[in-house]
Amino acid sequence: MSRKRRRHLQGKLLWFGDQMSLNVEKIKEDFPIFLRKIHGKRIIYMDSACVTLKPRQVVEAMNKYYEYFPACAGRSSHKLGRETSDQINNSRKTLQRFINAKSVNEVIFTKNTTEGINLISNSLKLKGGDVILTSDKEHNSCLLPFQLLKRKGVRHEIFKFGNLDDFQSKLTKDVKLVATAHTSNLDGTSNPIRNIIRLAHENNSLVLVDGAQSVPHKKVDVRRMNVDFLAFSGHKMLGPSGTGVLYGKQDLMERLNPLFLGGDAVKNSTYNNYEIEELPKKFEAGLQNYAGIIGLAEAARYLTKMGRDNLEKHLINLNELITDAFQNLDIEILGGTKAEKRGGIISFNMKKINPHEIAGILNESSNIMIRSGMHCVHSWFNAHELKGSARVSLYAYNTREDCGVLIKEIMKIHKLLL
Amino acid sequence: MICILALVVFGILGIFSATHRKLALEAFECVFKKIRLQPCDSGLDKRLKSQITGKLMRKHPKMARFGYRHFEAVSLILTIIMIVSFVYSGLGIYNFVAYGNCNGESSQEACVYEGLGNAFKIDVDCESPLCQNEYCTCKEGSGCQEKEGDICKENCYGSVIK
Repeated sequence: MSRKRRRHLQGKLLWFGDQMSLNVEKIKEDFPIFLRKIHGKRIIYMDSACVTLKPRQVVEAMNKYYEYFPACAGRSSHKLGRETSDQINNSRKTLQRFINAKSVNEVIFTKNTTEGINLISNSLKLKGGDVILTSDKEHNSCLLPFQLLKRKGVRHEIFKFGNLDDFQSKLTKDVKLVATAHTSNLDGTSNPIRNIIRLAHENNSLVLVDGAQSVPHKKVDVRRMNVDFLAFSGHKMLGPSGTGVLYGKQDLMERLNPLFLGGDAVKNSTYNNYEIEELPKKFEAGLQNYAGIIGLAEAARYLTKMGRDNLEKHLINLNELITDAFQNLDIEILGGTKAEKRGGIISFNMKKINPHEIAGILNESSNIMIRSGMHCVHSWFNAHELKGSARVSLYAYNTREDCGVLIKEIMKIHKLLL
Repeated sequence: MICILALVVFGILGIFSATHRKLALEAFECVFKKIRLQPCDSGLDKRLKSQITGKLMRKHPKMARFGYRHFEAVSLILTIIMIVSFVYSGLGIYNFVAYGNCNGESSQEACVYEGLGNAFKIDVDCESPLCQNEYCTCKEGSGCQEKEGDICKENCYGSVIK
């Protein structure tokens, strides 16, 4: 057995413990924030669908850039510049492998999912009469950019999230782009994405997938999915905020015009003209967030080492625990009662108690941090005449003990306040 | 109702702390909206309610339940108490300024403002127009030679409120 392989296996053992489940206590050691106490109590962070916490490795990788080679990538040929270029190229390769893209040219660094989606919506050159199909459960990031295109006469149609029959009924010949979330941030449910992509391609429509909630939680293979475009963020997958990736099939991306132009996005320019760079540079105008990109790649390595299949199992196990307890308390869970269909998200409402109050009480009584409100899916809540929900979103660093404290507190709220 | 309370409490705390100043501003916006019969959508009331309930739940669960269930009523009562105490404080200050005693004219009862001593008083001579002022009080043995009720007329050597 090679030394590299042995080291890899040793690392795996640390992660998985004896029962091939995540060794969460070991993982938690990588997150310095868990040493922090607020009002003498430990932090129970359950808002990872918004932003995940950052492991030490990610922070160190970013610091390394600032401390040892804080230079320009791609343009400066001095030693520090070359080092930065190497790191960025390596990061791109890591991200390519992370989503199993065919080429590094298909990985465009953005600042988040929103930027990726806006880049596609503006670069596709859709015209009056064209139709964009989105689901009824889209995050504002995958809804508003297409509403903006109505000015050009582009029509916007909506299908029911997760409902393939409804999707098919809306899939007319005019549909040029299907843009939808893989996994909903509202309730954690997922679209039958491979079927959606297949049907859309049969209709000659392109597919843009919002992978903000799926990429961090499960294995996403762009080649198996055969997706045209996929956008996701770094801050939801242990990476730094202000980082993201837009994947696009090379042949498609080559045909698209960039949204921004500037430094490093052109080969040459005159007072009247310019020559656009090749992929991926043509979509990355201006000096990039190098530290962030390096940190994002480190986060991807961290998740790969952990194993996203194991992560998914871990999240479902915890979700089942919470779902069972909530069902006993007759708490309404959005997205159904099957935990395996909701990954690490439990979006719920308690009768007579405002979701903001639930979040506030948990925060105050036990440092349990969850999100409340409409979770940037206002359209769905407004259509269903709901004021919002309380959302628990779990990640690798959440333990059964954390879930126990949450259940205990919810039971207390249920007993005392209802 | 909690917004009115919050406005006053955070307004006072805001003199010393920037954090509370921000909350006071939020409370003010909330009160301003309520005056115009618009709903307060800042969520301040819910935040305060959940913070208070969460804190109480740790040690006094029954009190937390009572506070949560009757939050509006408790807020209303506290707001009324606050307004009433403001009115009485104002009256007391008026009485103290006018008669030197916060309990009213010719009252012998203890007054909390007496602790302030002569901080609000200045000496005037009999030429001062202040001596003709109805708010002037002449102390016994102060040298006032003529006095009608509590109003100093002339030759006043006593003290008046600033």
